[in-house]
This record gives sequence, structure tokens and C-alpha cells, in this order.
Amino acid sequence: MHSIYARVNNVSATISTIVMVLLGAMALSSFVFNPHPTGSLEVTSVKVFAGETRRYPHRRQEYAFVTFNITADLSSLFNWNTKQLFVYLEAEYTNAKGVRNEVVFWDRIVRRKEDAVMAVSGKNKYPFRDVSAKFKGSTAANYTLKYNLMPFVGILTYGEAARVMGPIEFPLARERVE
Amino acid sequence: MFSEELKTLRKLGFRHLLLQTLNFASVLASGLMIYKGLGLITNTESPIVVVLSGSMEPAFHRGDILFLVNPPNARYEIGDITVYKIPGQDIPIVHRILETHDVVKVVNGVREAKPRPENQLILTKGDNNYLDDVELYQGLDWLERKHIVGKVRGFLPYVGYVTIAMNDFPQLKCALLGGLGLLALVQRE
Repeated sequence: MHSIYARVNNVSATISTIVMVLLGAMALSSFVFNPHPTGSLEVTSVKVFAGETRRYPHRRQEYAFVTFNITADLSSLFNWNTKQLFVYLEAEYTNAKGVRNEVVFWDRIVRRKEDAVMAVSGKNKYPFRDVSAKFKGSTAANYTLKYNLMPFVGILTYGEAARVMGPIEFPLARERVE
Repeated sequence: MFSEELKTLRKLGFRHLLLQTLNFASVLASGLMIYKGLGLITNTESPIVVVLSGSMEPAFHRGDILFLVNPPNARYEIGDITVYKIPGQDIPIVHRILETHDVVKVVNGVREAKPRPENQLILTKGDNNYLDDVELYQGLDWLERKHIVGKVRGFLPYVGYVTIAMNDFPQLKCALLGGLGLLALVQRE
């Protein structure tokens, strides 16, 4: 009853129960907070150029180049269980073959509350290309600023911070920069 | 040290030894049942995984535990963190979705009314990597739905480090399993 095994067993069981209950409470506490992220997104230009694919040396492909301005205040998403925010810009459109596409072309990891007030004017970080290799015949694209809240412990949540009013058409592809 | 344990073992007798073995086996079996039952509910082959690489840092570190779900008739969305395994690849990879393309298939000359989730093409990227994962796809241009094990819903830090430690130091695994087994046999109540 009072052997060393029994004592070690009891102590470790109590500690692990307490830790699990605390972690559970922490995960649940995320639902108490009611964040209200605000922001505005503006796409200043969309250009399409023809280029070569990364994988196949002689295959041609079109690339879209997007510049944008973001002003957003995501600081209300930071509570004591927020490890980081993954903020990303999404373009959503349907191409000529009826394929619905969602593409991330810019992202940023926000780890501190001070950095959550964002003013960014930038261009796409990742190559923005279509599955069919051409943007011709695509519908106009909707641009959205989204975030993924990643907690220290618990459930991952997603949300939208801003969007461009109305879709934006892809221009015709150009062979070279003028 | 062990002479005392051996003495108690002899005193307890063969029936007790059998009973304790049975107890130990039932503990193992119920653990496996819970894991597989969870897999049935969440529709994935591995509902709980341990992060093995640092390609999603600072979000996930080595040894963090992830809880996966794989909703059968829902499409995956960008920003979702998926675990995928491509044939010919030993270790499943945890990376975030960068692009989704919902392809509309033509079946027997008839174009389907809307894209089905299983025809989705996906491109992923690790948050800590500079480039997307095309080089990891073993020659494929896109990741397909059938390669995906699940998406991350919940997160528990560090707890899985035990398994990494056991893989890195196999002696630890033997010592732990042997110790547990001995304890289970010798314990009196």
C-alpha cells in the first residue's frame, strides 16, 4: 500500500490528471473570447505574362502578377492561447475548363500582438498560375484576406479579415514587359 | 535487487502470473480499440499523429501531437493543414494547402454538373519552406485527394516527444516496455 511503486504511481497519476484538465480548460477558454478583426484589401494591379514552367523546360505557361495594399487590425485575435496567426491572400476564380480554383499567392506569419496591426503594400510571393496553363477565358477573380488562428493548445480556427469589393478580371497575357 | 521480486513472483504463483498477463494484454487491446474507433469516427487511418520534422515551424515543432479528421464528402480548402502520404514515401508529411483546383470530370462523354471532392487537385507547402512541395510528390504534378490522410483540427504540444525519443534511442523503448511488463507482473493488487 505504501510501497515506493504505489507512491510514484499516485503522484504521477495526479500530476498527469491536473495537466490534462488544465490543458482542456485552456483549449476551451479560446471560445470565451469574441474577436473582431477588421481590415481592408485593395488589389492595385493584375498583369499576366507568358513564361516557362518550372518543371518542364520547353513548356509555356502564363503567370499572373498581383500587387495589393493591406491595412488590417488583427490584434483582437491575440489572446493568451494564441500561438500565431497565419495570414494569407486568396484568389478564387473558375477557369475556361470549368475548374474552380483557390490559390494562395501571399502569406505571412504573425507571432506578436504588436505585429497584428498590418499595413502592407506588396506583390505575390508564390507563382500564380492556372492548372490549364492559361488564364484566357477565366472568370474574374475574387480576392480575400484570410487568417488561421493557431492556438498553444486546442482547435485551429479560420476566418476572413477583408475582401476586395467585386471580382477583378484577368487581362490578356503579354509576352514581355513594356 | 531482483531476488526479492523473484521471490514474490514465486509466492504469487502461476495463476496470478496468467491473470496479470491478461490484464496487461487487455490494457494494450483497449488502447488499440480506442485508436481504431477514433479512426472510424474521423474517417482517417491515423487520427492522432506526431510531428516528425521542422518544416511547419514555428506552428508545429518536432514532437507535437496533431488530431486529424478527414470528412468524406467535403472539399479541402486552402489554409487547411493536411497530412499526406504518397505511395513510395515512407513518412507522412504535415503541410499547409496553397492551391486547390476542383476539376469537373467528364464521365462517358457527359460533363458532371459540379466538381466532386475526390477529383480535387491540391498543392501544399510547409510554412517554414521557401518552395512548394512539387519536388516531394514523387513525379506527380499535383497532390490528389486519395493521398491525403486528413487535416489538422486540434493541437497538443510536446506530448509526442516520447515516441520520437523512443525512435531515436531504441534502448529506451526496450527499457520502458520491459520495465512496464515486469511491473505489471510483479504488482500485487
